Amino acid sequence: MSEPLAVFELAGRMAAHAGQRQALVAANVANADTPGYVARQIASFTDHMEAGGNSPAATLKRTRANHVHSSDLPTRMMVAETGEPAPNGNTVSVEDQMLAAVDIGREHNRALAIYRHGLTILGYVGGKR
Amino acid sequence: MMEFSEAMRVASSGMKAQANRLRHVSENIANVDTPGYRRKLVSFEQAMNDPLVRTGDVSLDQSELTRVYDPANPLADGNGFYDGSNVNLLLEVADAREASRSYEANLKMFDQVRQMSSALMDLLRS
Repeated sequence: MSEPLAVFELAGRMAAHAGQRQALVAANVANADTPGYVARQIASFTDHMEAGGNSPAATLKRTRANHVHSSDLPTRMMVAETGEPAPNGNTVSVEDQMLAAVDIGREHNRALAIYRHGLTILGYVGGKR
Repeated sequence: MMEFSEAMRVASSGMKAQANRLRHVSENIANVDTPGYRRKLVSFEQAMNDPLVRTGDVSLDQSELTRVYDPANPLADGNGFYDGSNVNLLLEVADAREASRSYEANLKMFDQVRQMSSALMDLLRS
């Protein structure tokens, strides 16, 4: 019965990743007027998993034996690519952040839908009996 | 799940900061005709090691006060001029628009985090 459990693990990772992304987008939007603030982002979920992720389910994606199992590494934050900074040094584009937020919402919904479907298959979720 | 409460904290700090900014803008607009009034500028700053934002010091704009010609005014000098305020209504209205827009963006973030969190709860419930 290890197959469905791996699906749960992966869906859980996906939802957690969406949560982390959302927290970062919220921070970017809150600091949209702070002088000198540089907008940040984290790698997309596929990139995150390609790099080894930080969970046992990431072994599904490891294609080379010498990839480091980075179970203790926090998700790396990168500087978001944006256009010209504002005169006060701020690089946050609220429109970009809004688009990212929509994307994150969908990613999160997808992860939960996969999770719920897994539960349905196992018979834990049902209507009134 | 920790990220959700953190994100909500950050979004609400953003809303509070923008509301504070809007408050100072309305003070400026209300005092556009007050003699000697210098417009207030609100700075934003990030808390140490924390994505929270807050309004920092309020400073006074040091640009020139407009000279208003009104000989009948008790404050008028020998030539009939007195110092008005240095509030430019156009600037203030534009600032108010910006503050509103940023406030709404923060509110949307807060709402989205809330929705994601409650969807997660629904999963546990069903």
